[in-house]
Amino acid sequence: MRHNLFKILTLFFIAYSSAQNVSVSGNVQDDTSFPIAGANVLVKGISKGAVTDFDGNFTIEDVKIGSTLIFSYLGYITQEVVVANSDKLAIQLLPDLAQLDEVVVIGYGTQTKKEITGAVSVLGSETIEALKPTRIEQALQGQVAGVNITSQSGSPGGGSTISIRGVSTNGDSRPLILVDGNVIEDLSVINPSDIESINILKDATAGIYGVRAANGVVLITTKTGRKNMPITVEYNAYGGFQQTTRKIPVLNATEYGVLVNEAFASGGDTPPFTNLSVLGVGTDWQDQVFQNAQIQNHGISFRGGGEKSSYSYSGSFLTQDGIVGGSKSNFNRFTNNVTYNLDFLENFKLTSGLTLTRTNKQNLSENALGSVLFNALNMAPTLSVRDESGAFTIAEGLGNEVINPIAQTSDTHNRGKVFKISGNAGLSYKFLDHFTAQSNIQFNYAEVSSKVFSPIVNYGSGKVFNKDRSEVFEGLNYFKDYTFDAFIKYENKIDDIHNINVLLGTSVFQTTGEFTGFNGFDIKDNSIAFATIEEASDVENINRALGRNPTFDSRLLSYFTRVQYDYKGKYLLSAVVRRDGSTKFGPENKFGFFPSGSIGWIASDEDFLNDSNVFDLLKFRASYGVLGNDRIPDYRFVSLLNGEGTYVFNDNLVFGAAGGAVANPEIKWEKQKTLDIGVDMRFLNNKIDITADYFKKRTEDLLVVPQVSGIIGAGAPGSSPPVVNAGIVENEGFEFAIGYTDNLNDNLKLNVKYNVTFIDNIVKSVSTEGGFLTGGSFGVGQDPPSRMEAGFPIGYFRGYQTDGVFQNQAEVDSYPTINSAVQAGDLRFVDINNDGVIDDDDKIDIGNPIPDASMGLNISLDYKNFDFSAYAFASVGNDIVRNYERNQDLTNRPSYFLNRWTGEGSTNTDPRVTTGANSNGLFSDYFVEDGSFVRLQNVQLGYTFTNTSEDSKLNKFRIYVSASNLFTLTEYRGYDPTASSGAPIGGGIDQGFYPNPKTFLLGVNLKF
Amino acid sequence: MRNLKYINLVIVLLLVFSCSDDFVDVASEDENSEEFFNSEDDYQRALTAAYDGLQSTYVNVMLGEIASDNTLSGGESATDVIGFQEIDDMIHTPNNANLRDIWNWMFGAVNRANFILEFQDKTDFTNKNNVIGQARFLRAYYNFELVKWFGDIPLAVDKRIQFGDQFSIDRTPKSEVYALIEQDLIFAADNLPYVQPETGRVTKGAAQALLGKAYLFQDKFDEAANVFQDLINNGPHDLLSDYTTMFENDNENNIESVFEVQYTDKEGAGFGCLQCSEGNVAVGFNGIRNYSGPVFESGFSFNVPTQEVVDAFEDGDVRKDVAILDIDTWATANNASFSIGFEHTGYYNRKYISRKGDLNTGDANLTNPNNYRAIRFADVLLMAAEALNRKSSPDDIAAQTYLNRVRRRAFGDMLHDISTTGSNLTNDIYKERRVELVGEGHRFFDLVRTGRAAQEIDGFVSGKHELFPIPLIEIQLAGNRWEQNPNY
Repeated sequence: MRHNLFKILTLFFIAYSSAQNVSVSGNVQDDTSFPIAGANVLVKGISKGAVTDFDGNFTIEDVKIGSTLIFSYLGYITQEVVVANSDKLAIQLLPDLAQLDEVVVIGYGTQTKKEITGAVSVLGSETIEALKPTRIEQALQGQVAGVNITSQSGSPGGGSTISIRGVSTNGDSRPLILVDGNVIEDLSVINPSDIESINILKDATAGIYGVRAANGVVLITTKTGRKNMPITVEYNAYGGFQQTTRKIPVLNATEYGVLVNEAFASGGDTPPFTNLSVLGVGTDWQDQVFQNAQIQNHGISFRGGGEKSSYSYSGSFLTQDGIVGGSKSNFNRFTNNVTYNLDFLENFKLTSGLTLTRTNKQNLSENALGSVLFNALNMAPTLSVRDESGAFTIAEGLGNEVINPIAQTSDTHNRGKVFKISGNAGLSYKFLDHFTAQSNIQFNYAEVSSKVFSPIVNYGSGKVFNKDRSEVFEGLNYFKDYTFDAFIKYENKIDDIHNINVLLGTSVFQTTGEFTGFNGFDIKDNSIAFATIEEASDVENINRALGRNPTFDSRLLSYFTRVQYDYKGKYLLSAVVRRDGSTKFGPENKFGFFPSGSIGWIASDEDFLNDSNVFDLLKFRASYGVLGNDRIPDYRFVSLLNGEGTYVFNDNLVFGAAGGAVANPEIKWEKQKTLDIGVDMRFLNNKIDITADYFKKRTEDLLVVPQVSGIIGAGAPGSSPPVVNAGIVENEGFEFAIGYTDNLNDNLKLNVKYNVTFIDNIVKSVSTEGGFLTGGSFGVGQDPPSRMEAGFPIGYFRGYQTDGVFQNQAEVDSYPTINSAVQAGDLRFVDINNDGVIDDDDKIDIGNPIPDASMGLNISLDYKNFDFSAYAFASVGNDIVRNYERNQDLTNRPSYFLNRWTGEGSTNTDPRVTTGANSNGLFSDYFVEDGSFVRLQNVQLGYTFTNTSEDSKLNKFRIYVSASNLFTLTEYRGYDPTASSGAPIGGGIDQGFYPNPKTFLLGVNLKF
Repeated sequence: MRNLKYINLVIVLLLVFSCSDDFVDVASEDENSEEFFNSEDDYQRALTAAYDGLQSTYVNVMLGEIASDNTLSGGESATDVIGFQEIDDMIHTPNNANLRDIWNWMFGAVNRANFILEFQDKTDFTNKNNVIGQARFLRAYYNFELVKWFGDIPLAVDKRIQFGDQFSIDRTPKSEVYALIEQDLIFAADNLPYVQPETGRVTKGAAQALLGKAYLFQDKFDEAANVFQDLINNGPHDLLSDYTTMFENDNENNIESVFEVQYTDKEGAGFGCLQCSEGNVAVGFNGIRNYSGPVFESGFSFNVPTQEVVDAFEDGDVRKDVAILDIDTWATANNASFSIGFEHTGYYNRKYISRKGDLNTGDANLTNPNNYRAIRFADVLLMAAEALNRKSSPDDIAAQTYLNRVRRRAFGDMLHDISTTGSNLTNDIYKERRVELVGEGHRFFDLVRTGRAAQEIDGFVSGKHELFPIPLIEIQLAGNRWEQNPNY
């Protein structure tokens, strides 16, 4: 009996001890036996873990024997160890060249690169810092397959248009941009050095963002401190100067005189220059207008963390003058960014951040008829900048818009200021072993103010810029928005092979704001010193004149769920459904459902491939989803009285109530069906990394503002046609990216990356009356040159096709001409439909601004203490319309006019010059040029000083020189082939685009 | 413990789903057009918006001259405002941007008038018939323009044409449009006073004058004569004695002005929305090209008078130097300079060109404050004379009286009185209309309605050019159901 009792007791004892929980502790080191502080130690399957301290040590209480511990640290290969007993563990982590454990942000959560089933690209902070952009979009150019950046302007602070996998709407085609979950529209307020990573969701993976996802989603995370890290201080500074990348060759004074005389004679007028030999070279207006402009940037940051908290502060100051106008187009920015993360408890954590930014920008007129560069190109070289009395010369007879650009710069007083506060705070709470509840709030508050002072000026008779009465405008706009997210996650690993992750959540977004502005007149002394609304007379409130409400309130309410499942980490599946309600749409169509799903197969984990040494990773993936777009103006589903109905009684302005935009209660979101099939491969021990994707996006129910019948009154002041869902656009393409990283020997490390994107954009239908939409502008008083029409790319150029120059009268007589004034020396327009007349029916597709292919190439070499990098990108097949020639009797011309037709056989390319009526200025392929280019975006050489003294506080000291936009290879004759307003219909038209500057910098990085 | 955890879960779930769908149900701060007209103030504000359409009739005024033998298109070059150039040469087609502007702007204005009339029964107040009378006059004015230019037009009575209606509405025959115009003007004349408290508002006189004109255009001479005589005998209007001040900015809304479209220089304007301008855009367009000198300011040199119309003035006619500016003579005499534009004739439309002294707000060429004298008493007298002369039992004596009132003011004596009768008197009245009203936008329609257009206007084709083509795009945008005007 006692024997049995003892056996039973022993069994119980054994059973009890095998169910025993122990306290586990240990130490984590890297491959050089250096302790890793801040490494994560997680108990697998439950939400329990710890972080290693300064010395790499950790302790976790109450761990069940037999459970698995996961050790991970960014940049190192994750390890798993089973807990057998309470012995101390010694763990050594190896560097992860493949970075497969790299975390990718995918929206309300993260996944590792290996687990991703969608097309997501990541850009890390090292690349961003190497490119030294003043605005973040510049860093994206050429870095990520499928992402195309066009600069709207090269002026300091000038914006860029980001388009992800083509233009899929004719309206606002900007992607959704979130910085730490906060909606940001204007990226100029963010200091690029604060960015940790940029994650771009290109396919249906973006579907978790529902009605805002159709143009792609850009998720930006900023740098924070790290736990158990002693405080590190970084100081980065650079300074240098900028020059224009190009000057357009124009005629000098003598050549100008010759051509003007010839034109006048041809038009039957008396040539104005009687003595050509005294003209000389004259004034080079572009030299007068362009200058070397300075740029400098200083940034300082503190990062650190304790046992339970981490914090960082970073501040920066950037000032950049413009290559046109110098300090008159200066941009400066002062940013402050603070983050603070705290673990109240093991399972209850806080994250928070606050950013304060101030920017100031001085603006000059650019990329428009009569802008400063436009005038520099068209001003007569026979005129000097100032006359004998010292006053600015008047541009007589050069048309109504061309004026002295130096005078114009001096008379422009146009300043904008932005003051912005952004913040975010989040709480996460883990409970019941597998659940996490998380709640975040993000908010923005911005004050955008502007002041424009227009003094009394006279630039010559009939000039549109003349002002008889000085005027000042002061505007102040307020923008407030917040995003509130709350969600619950369930994570579990069942039987060690089924990994399941369920997310259920809600998101609420509201943006409000107010526009205010006042105009005042008669400024004292006609001087900027007295130019304020308080001291002006006849002050009017612009909102009263426009008769409309100056506030807006737009909201979004969403519910979403995501299920992620993987079997043995080999077969991956993800499904998302999101329900969005938007205030943009009326009661009929307010809510929409957006489902998407993706699958993946890691073939290299299969047995038949695991043994083979060819692939380190071979993953196939596919995704499909329905995404939405709601970017239209507010309240288009109701008929509001916000039009303009102003009349005059008793000699006073009286403001009436008039209808605004015509309403359409049936409008609904644009629906985009997007398919992606991709493959990721790694070879040669992760040295070669290839990603390839095929995608097809079809956007239906495009929100367009078509022409409508005039009888419904859309032509009345302040009214406009309704928004209707009436178009289908398809973007189909292929992305390919390859990277090679290798340590060639102990001292030499090489990294080469290349990516290329092919996109075919085609409009499938435009179901408005007339069947097309127009946009853009060319010349003066001509039809819009761009169209959106079925069967063509969006925004294609439509005009006459030319076929050389008529050499003699016989040729003119034997071919249809557009009117009877056509003579020898004029362009021959092709009679496309062979009906014997040249008219609107002979206009065809003569080009489009969308590139057929865009690619980027990065090379970086590290040799001992030297580092070298070069970034280049190219665009092939984009066309640009040359629209900066004013073509008046006395305006200057580009020097290719030296090749004009002067008689039979002289040339078949360029027509004659004349002051008489002629049709050579009508929009034709003569004005459409191939804008393909290759640009060396950045070249940098740096040297890092080695730390000779052991106890020196200086951790890193690097100096470098860098050159941006060093050269551009292109046939385009204008300033900059990257020029485009970014408008889907009407983009790609150059009216004197402010070129991106060439920049030379010297900089230093210090780390303490 | 377990219970506590489940309670946590429930609380969190509740927080997650706490926002209701009403959150995205937000009403705009702007007024909703379907919930308007709740007070007299609402009606007055909508009426002001209906008046606004008058300011965009500057195109009608310019083209009414350019299409005729009075002026040439002008401008900077043969391609400056191609629509104007083509109409000048009678080679215009259904693809004409300026005809499209007239179509769009007049229909926009009709809709604003119909907006008030759609809700005319919603709220009552004492002044209501005055408001409705003004609204109906405006509707008649805009419909009259449309029927003059395009003939049969889509007609909406007391309701707006809404988005979607354009596919089912047909072109109403001219006669029915005129019938509505007559009803509107009869109501207006019955319900409006001869003098309104605010200048610029429609008066009984304006309604009667426009009614008479509408009758005249339909050759309804008896009715026209009656209403004109009623106005001449009972209205407050007379000819202005000092004709030289008739079109100056310091003599606006004077005794001769029966109806005047008001403009001001107090608000800036831009080429992006010409119909929004509170200034008289035609004045800037008609102005002297690159002018520098006294009295006048620069403009775009459109709408330039021909030698033929200058020669139509008799000697001693004070109206000649008011209507026509001989720029060469003026420049020499006043040390002024100017440039030569396209189709330069040496003359400018002096009644409506830019003058010094205005604020030059915004784009100075677009914000001239010169009011457009839409109906002058001189015009009323001449129309009355014509109606009396052409009616079935003519009253040539009365006709001569009215005609001679105009001539006596023009010559300052009684030595230029006319005593012809019958068709000779008719021709004299026509000649008088030309010299009295040159530059005011009436000539083309006078020639068309009296059957003289083909012989006076180069390139005019009978059976075609009496009407202007409906813009082709407008026919397409309404479902391609309308026939185009003949021979276009």
